[in-house]
Amino acid sequence: MIRGEHQSFSMTKAMSLGFSLLAFGFLGCMVGLFLWQSLPVWQHEGVLGYLFGTEWFYRADRFGILSMVYGTLAVSVIAVLLATPIGIGAALFTAEILPASLRRGVKLTIELLAGIPSVVYGLLGILFLRNWIYTLLEPFDPITGDTLLTAGILLGIMILPTVMTLSEDAIRGVSASYRDAARGLGLTSFETVRSGILPIAKPGIVAAILLGLGRALGETIAVFLVVGRQDNQLPESLFSLRPIIEPGQTLTSKLGGSETHLAYGNPLHWAAIAGLGLVLLTIVAAVTWLGGRLAEERHYNE
Amino acid sequence: MMRHWSNALFFLITGACTFVGLGLLLAILAAITFKGLSSLSWDFLFKPMKEAGASGGVFYNIIGTVILIGTALIVSSPLAFALALLQQVYLKKRSLRRALTLFLYLINGIPSILFGLFGLTVFVQFFDWGKSWLTGGIVLGLMILPTMAVAISERIHAIPQAYFETAAGLGLRPAQIVWSIFIPYSLNGWLSGSLLGLARAAGETAPIMFTATVFSGATVPDGVQESPVLSLPYHIFILAQESYNPQMIPNLWASAFVLVAMVMVLSLFSLPWRKRAFEAKR
Repeated sequence: MIRGEHQSFSMTKAMSLGFSLLAFGFLGCMVGLFLWQSLPVWQHEGVLGYLFGTEWFYRADRFGILSMVYGTLAVSVIAVLLATPIGIGAALFTAEILPASLRRGVKLTIELLAGIPSVVYGLLGILFLRNWIYTLLEPFDPITGDTLLTAGILLGIMILPTVMTLSEDAIRGVSASYRDAARGLGLTSFETVRSGILPIAKPGIVAAILLGLGRALGETIAVFLVVGRQDNQLPESLFSLRPIIEPGQTLTSKLGGSETHLAYGNPLHWAAIAGLGLVLLTIVAAVTWLGGRLAEERHYNE
Repeated sequence: MMRHWSNALFFLITGACTFVGLGLLLAILAAITFKGLSSLSWDFLFKPMKEAGASGGVFYNIIGTVILIGTALIVSSPLAFALALLQQVYLKKRSLRRALTLFLYLINGIPSILFGLFGLTVFVQFFDWGKSWLTGGIVLGLMILPTMAVAISERIHAIPQAYFETAAGLGLRPAQIVWSIFIPYSLNGWLSGSLLGLARAAGETAPIMFTATVFSGATVPDGVQESPVLSLPYHIFILAQESYNPQMIPNLWASAFVLVAMVMVLSLFSLPWRKRAFEAKR
């Protein structure tokens, strides 16, 4: 086997290592870059002051990102709450009930639909969803249809294919012998799923949800178009849901906005923007890493 | 009896989920197709934009998007082959191979706006390129690198053992085996990985909005510095914010249709491979 053999130096190997290093270099640079570029703001506001500060006024050199972290978490949680039940339900139906030929069709359709660009979702959000939300919220006196809720619902639709197709993989990954044994015991489909399939597929399904969450946290364009981009919106008390139906700002909608261009001339303002990138990267990397660990665990169980 | 009721309920609820999920997504596709096709014409495809997008076509936007994803393909391919060979051939330790898999996995999860921010800082500002098609291509290329590398790596993994044994028996050196077995036999993995990656790259707005693309005033770039291109996603992004103007709506739908069609065609071409992988798994 070639993998086990002793290999001497060759041009091919050198090229392969060189290009790989280039790839690592680029991507390692990215983390380093955000860290380095954001240093001034960490010094200016303090780590806690930056992360938990409630005020972002760049003209007054006040940079606290709590309201954006709140916005990002709010839209992502709404998205996951929406996509998870529908996604898992559809995955169960596709994997356990539909005949093989239909299953393939559904699966391929969903995977193709996962490719619809986010700017197109954003467009549909602008043309339809925000008007529907406005009408729906009429009893609460909304200012506009551009709210955190609108962005969350749109994101929920966007991550639905991801959650569904990956959950379906996890469910189909459960060995057929469980189904045969359950059938032998005379269990109904529901009982088979509840007591045999779901417990085994659980890590894979959680991984699917986490990957959906990762995508929702980092999605920029669709959120940007319907979130309202209102700074410094925070709930008055921990359980107040009012800001959800008002315009808000997320980490990504701030990064995608005009301040990113504006900031470059002012080192502190630029640092605050780079800091947003660093915070976003950290959150998403943590969620993705956790999802990857769980997905890997599933492979070892098989 | 209770058991059968709960089973029927299970069918009903999961069936409804499938219906809602699939229905929603298909409705989106149908809306884009019908609205888009009704405002699409040859002139729209082959004429440049006029009156800030209110009339004219998207010719240079299509060209720009093709330039961006073409560059991404060229940037990404050698890196992806190198990473796949590293994963399957040169890394001996299992732990290192797993670390590389995790690394690719993490890269795949990085939000696309951060690639844009990276490109803005490094190429647009440090290198002083300004907005340039090349920055866009590099940034998109890095973004699709994991997709491509994993596709190639999986193909290399699937090459039958007998091929290496024959090659080694013929006295080929390891480097020759790489060029005569690994690379030719993983080309279809590269192809499908590229198509999938490019389908994603073609629709992305966030990585290119600060680095490579402008709304108007660009045609075909003739250098690197200060040579942005137009692009379909950015066109839709800007026009969507002008959508209070009813004049913009037909062109918006048509642009969205062209973009979705491009993305779907790219992903459809990668289907034969994906279907095979799908069947192999079952």
